[in-house]
Amino acid sequence: MGEYNVANGTKFDATEAKQTVLDYCLRKGALAAGVADLDALELIAPPGHRPSDIMPKIKSVISLGVGGQTQGAWAVPAKAMGYFGSTETRAYTISYGAAFFIESKYQTPAIYCPPDMDNEKGPRVPLQSLKLHAEVAGIGARSLAGDILLHPEFGYMYFASIFTELELPPDRPMAQNPCPAPSCVSMYRQAGRTPCQKFCPVQCLSGGIDEAGKQAEMHYDMAACAEMSQQYEAVPALLERAMAAEDGQGREEALFDPDNKMLWYKMSVGSGGLLAQCFECMRVCPIATKASLADPIRRSKAKAEA
Amino acid sequence: MAQGLNRRQIGVTAAMIESYGELIFEISHNKQSRRGDPIRELDFDAIAASRHERGMSDGQIAERIGLSEIQVIYIRTMMERRRFHTNHFQRLLDLGGGKRFREERFMPHEERFQYHDDALALRDAMAFDPGRAHHYSEQGWWNNDTLSGLLTRHAAERGDAPALLIQDKTMISYADLWARVDRLAGGLHGLGLGRGDVIAVQLPNVAEYVISYLAIARLGAVMTTLYMPHREREFETLLGHSRARALICLADAGGFPAAQAALSLDLPKLQSVIAIGVPVTGAVPFADLAGTDTGADALGLPQPVAADPMLLLYTSGTTASPKAVPHNSHTMLGNGRLGVGAHQLGPDDVIMSAPPFGHLFGLYALHMSFHIGAANLLLPNFTPPDLAAAIEAGRATALLAAPAHMAACLVMGLFDKHDCSTLKLAILSGSAVPEDMARAASAKLPNCEITQLWGMTETQGGLYCRPGDGIEISATSAGQPAPGAEARIGEDGELQVRGSMLFPGYFDNPDANAAAFTPDGWFRSGDLASQDGNGNFAITGRIKEIINRGGVKYNPREIEDLLDSHPAISQSAIVPMPDKALGERACCFAVSSDPEIELDMLCDYLLSHGIAKTKLPEHLVLLDEMPLTPTRKIIKGRLPLPVNIDS
Repeated sequence: MGEYNVANGTKFDATEAKQTVLDYCLRKGALAAGVADLDALELIAPPGHRPSDIMPKIKSVISLGVGGQTQGAWAVPAKAMGYFGSTETRAYTISYGAAFFIESKYQTPAIYCPPDMDNEKGPRVPLQSLKLHAEVAGIGARSLAGDILLHPEFGYMYFASIFTELELPPDRPMAQNPCPAPSCVSMYRQAGRTPCQKFCPVQCLSGGIDEAGKQAEMHYDMAACAEMSQQYEAVPALLERAMAAEDGQGREEALFDPDNKMLWYKMSVGSGGLLAQCFECMRVCPIATKASLADPIRRSKAKAEA
Repeated sequence: MAQGLNRRQIGVTAAMIESYGELIFEISHNKQSRRGDPIRELDFDAIAASRHERGMSDGQIAERIGLSEIQVIYIRTMMERRRFHTNHFQRLLDLGGGKRFREERFMPHEERFQYHDDALALRDAMAFDPGRAHHYSEQGWWNNDTLSGLLTRHAAERGDAPALLIQDKTMISYADLWARVDRLAGGLHGLGLGRGDVIAVQLPNVAEYVISYLAIARLGAVMTTLYMPHREREFETLLGHSRARALICLADAGGFPAAQAALSLDLPKLQSVIAIGVPVTGAVPFADLAGTDTGADALGLPQPVAADPMLLLYTSGTTASPKAVPHNSHTMLGNGRLGVGAHQLGPDDVIMSAPPFGHLFGLYALHMSFHIGAANLLLPNFTPPDLAAAIEAGRATALLAAPAHMAACLVMGLFDKHDCSTLKLAILSGSAVPEDMARAASAKLPNCEITQLWGMTETQGGLYCRPGDGIEISATSAGQPAPGAEARIGEDGELQVRGSMLFPGYFDNPDANAAAFTPDGWFRSGDLASQDGNGNFAITGRIKEIINRGGVKYNPREIEDLLDSHPAISQSAIVPMPDKALGERACCFAVSSDPEIELDMLCDYLLSHGIAKTKLPEHLVLLDEMPLTPTRKIIKGRLPLPVNIDS
């Protein structure tokens, strides 16, 4: 890789182009950005979910992360946390802009990677794993908390990806995994569980840490997690319960009790509540909440000190 | 359907879901495991080898077990639906903001408390007219006061103030009372008792009674009361009808082995008998529960609310078999709270109840004191000398008593022997108040307002005189409706009431309910009353006690009052006696100091006082003692009517 031609014959330096694109992402608000090794992604992702399944001539996958929760958000009750998780839209905005930027500057096709689910396979199956892109691009590493990616400086981020036919030199995954944090290792040694494992409301996390303080095993019961956090699953369940009710009172309770009525509300407004996770594992994660640049207050202080 | 295709098109059968469902669910993304960090390390061999552990895609699963991808999608989705529990979101509601999930503290929803059928039936009996309920709430007559809340407030605000004064000079402060109640509630909870359970209490007016009552209230349970004279027959009837789950009683109630008696009965709902005193085989020692280390607060037991049923009382009616009267804090505590102002009581008062706490009038004294944080002077068992001595020793300022209590003290001259000058208010209730006795009490206790209160288990304090009314009113009437109450005189002169203090209806007794209320929702008291021009009501008798002698109806109350003033008669009662010719005749029952007294002598006495001949009693029965309610009211239904009387 090095100098190459794009569609209109203009020559660009790949390394310089990569820096230009990543700088664009950072300038627009990303905390971290990198380029994933496409060959690795193609090997790891299952058929149907590989980048080339969406963009056959793809040459590069750019991944970026934006800030997760603010310090204030971590302090709110769990029932309110579902309303603080909308920063991922900022990541999508940046990646959407980056795709336009690449096409206008390099005259090369680029798309904003769809972050949604695979509508042929259901709401728990993503079209693409943004997490995999980010990990291979070196801007996050899998944690004991159900493989949620963490960054040693930025903690917990939301990710988005850009697919492009512009060939850019890939980054490497992180050399070290920040998870588990030293305090988590200490707790695990004493109590046999890390904070995320202990405080998960549905106990969907388990695993172990080896003698070197590294992750040995991670087990994630996504079904249990979804029982609590993915409320769209509840809608057909309670409709079925209503239909099976023995009498009018049973139907009324199934459809109109306050909890279920909340589901109808969320459906009607199309937002709010929990559609992915409940955040309790991240709320107690020292990396997610206390990494040196994990929230705007810490970043401001770091900037001032610098 | 999957991808718009139905099961028939996909070729999935129920058998396939059963056969492959578990496997597909386990190796899909629903269960994910990772050993080491192979992706970050780009260890492609390890990634490939552990694919099934990380959660395989539908296509990979299909390839592995020999199904089409769409069949896997369909089966996996069905399995996710089957495994899904809709109520797990509830786990989040108490978390965050500093609160963390603790597995050991979390109880799955399906294992959480639910009211049992008996408790729900009792709650279902708390059905009030919606318009009235709205009105009472709007007026502030119903609020969210609970005994538990009141006690907690006083313990916090004036913890050192006396709550209970006991005759041996012991004082239990509000803070101490709170702690004792908290521990006992924890102990009762340990027995498996909780919200909605009916717990019976048969105790004299001792501290343990008050502590038990408050602990039951703290649990959100329902107290039902047994009078001290009750024995096995009443136990069986009342504990059975109330579906009581526990009984708190004395091991030895003056020679009656109450705990043992309860244990010997066939009462399947009765789980625990809690005995105070000597150990009883099969009974739980009260002291063990009262000494429980972990109280209700430490256990995190939820606080009751005012709409919860809190009492199930059996009527002391003298003319019918017992009827169960449910009350919640709205009706019960509201009456006491509103009564405090009307009776002009304050936190420095010392309130004493001569009637037992098992009777509503006794509870009324407790409720008033708990509203204002006043002291309760306890009188375990009534005797006239004990009452007068307790007033003097405890410096009681307010006395709730039956007319018979007051009359006994007057007859024995006890107010001359004891300094009762601290009394500023006496509320007389439970039976008709003889005018002469009220005047005599007023004369003996010049600092004390003698007032009357009319009430029933169903109505609590419905009518009463206020301090300042004067003896002319309070000796001759029961005064005016309590705040929140209304009264009217219906057909046949019957007193009818309604208001925020009124019970909702008898528990498990539709026949009694049908008879108890007018079509427009007023409670038929069964008492006869008159009303003067100032709105004061005077109780003149009971409807069922009216004598109908050949079509001539009259109220025997005035005859009884006159007979009671006869020098040889200490108590009298006149009841209708069946008669073939006239329908009814009057039969007089009397307790007399003269065993030779005869009917003619009494008739002469009545005639000399201007009583019409048609109202004279026509048969006399002398008794050693009258059957009495705990408030010293004669139980006319238990008087032994003579048989085979020649008309």
